[in-house]
Amino acid sequence: MTAKQFFKSNAFKSLAVLIAIVLAAGVLLAICNDIFHVSDEERFARSIAKIYGTQVTTEEVELTEEEKSYNTGRVDAVYLVADDGNYLFKTTGFGGYSGGSGEVTLWTVILCEGTREAGDLRLTGIRKVVYESNEGQTLMSNFTNEYYAFFTEHNEAIAAGESFTAIKDGGELDNVSAGASQTSNAIVNAVNTALACFRGVLSGGQA
Amino acid sequence: MNVKKYGKIAYDGLITNNATFKLVLGTCATLGMSTSAANSFGMGLSVTVVLLLSNVLISMLRKVIPNTVRIPAFVVIIATMVTLLRMVLEKYIPDLYDSMGVFLPLIVVNCVILGRAEAFASKNPVLDSAVDGIATGLGLTFALTFIGIVREFLGSGSFFGIQVMDFKIGFFTNAAGAFFVYGICIALFVFVTHKMEQRQRVRKMRALRAPAGDAPLPPVTGQEDK
Repeated sequence: MTAKQFFKSNAFKSLAVLIAIVLAAGVLLAICNDIFHVSDEERFARSIAKIYGTQVTTEEVELTEEEKSYNTGRVDAVYLVADDGNYLFKTTGFGGYSGGSGEVTLWTVILCEGTREAGDLRLTGIRKVVYESNEGQTLMSNFTNEYYAFFTEHNEAIAAGESFTAIKDGGELDNVSAGASQTSNAIVNAVNTALACFRGVLSGGQA
Repeated sequence: MNVKKYGKIAYDGLITNNATFKLVLGTCATLGMSTSAANSFGMGLSVTVVLLLSNVLISMLRKVIPNTVRIPAFVVIIATMVTLLRMVLEKYIPDLYDSMGVFLPLIVVNCVILGRAEAFASKNPVLDSAVDGIATGLGLTFALTFIGIVREFLGSGSFFGIQVMDFKIGFFTNAAGAFFVYGICIALFVFVTHKMEQRQRVRKMRALRAPAGDAPLPPVTGQEDK
């Protein structure tokens, strides 16, 4: 087969058409990806709308890497909500399903009194816990609104300095979903991380 | 003439070749997404949009694409359209995007779309293919929404998200319930369309017999074919 024959053959035509279609599709998608890109700010605004139901003004709190890492999880971001003076935590809890490597990310709104500047910031409870995303969990649908609401119903114990557990031992702050105890563990860890960060860093203690 | 032709294409897509109830295609999305009416309606509309766009594009390119590589070419076009839809949904309707989850990219391998591309769009002009795409998509939307309404009503006691009763049967929200409702819906749909076709046939026969002076047929009782 000479070169001329090849360029006239059916095989070349097929190849050329397929490559042309793929190229055109690629260019189209690249352009559209730019047009329809969802920026991080927009994503954050959506999460806020999901948590509060309305627009609120927030101000990110700067923390060092050391202040962000804990045994139970890590703090992804902390915001001071200007409207009501509460703190909004985005935390990821470790110890989820699949050999303890799974993670669950949550938003936690922490109720407090006083301000950080004045040095009299005091933890009074949790207002709301909202699910954000997970890594490797399969039973997220087991966790109903009632499960998340549990965290907001024990403000006195939280204010007294206690943390939640995911082990059923009759304590007041046990929060385990039957059949998904490892995922419960990660969720509880995420909430505890937010509490630990608030107690350790924001209200004046050491990380 | 044209109106009649498009009417027939639309009727075929909606009723005679209804993708969900008659051809039983695209069952993955049907069973997975029909837990609530709003979700299944969104899914149906998404499939309709992809079907319309891919049908039009494939019909436009049908003389350019060589027969030997038509399937990979179709799949690339469909995948492009689905990715595009995904971007648009993520940007403008994030709630639907979140609720559809993995079923949105799975539209790429939805049999309905490749099936219509292969069976219709690759052989027919652009306008016909567009009508076929819309009709098939609406047929699917109707079927999905119907299953969604039934499952949502029985499984969580609500109608398009509005709570109407406290009584609920959890069975209908899981996969087994989906198969159960789907099967019954297929049976109902086939029964109704069969009856309709039968009536049409009898009417046609009457019209043919009347001028010849034959004795009129007895009225339709639904027992003719037994």
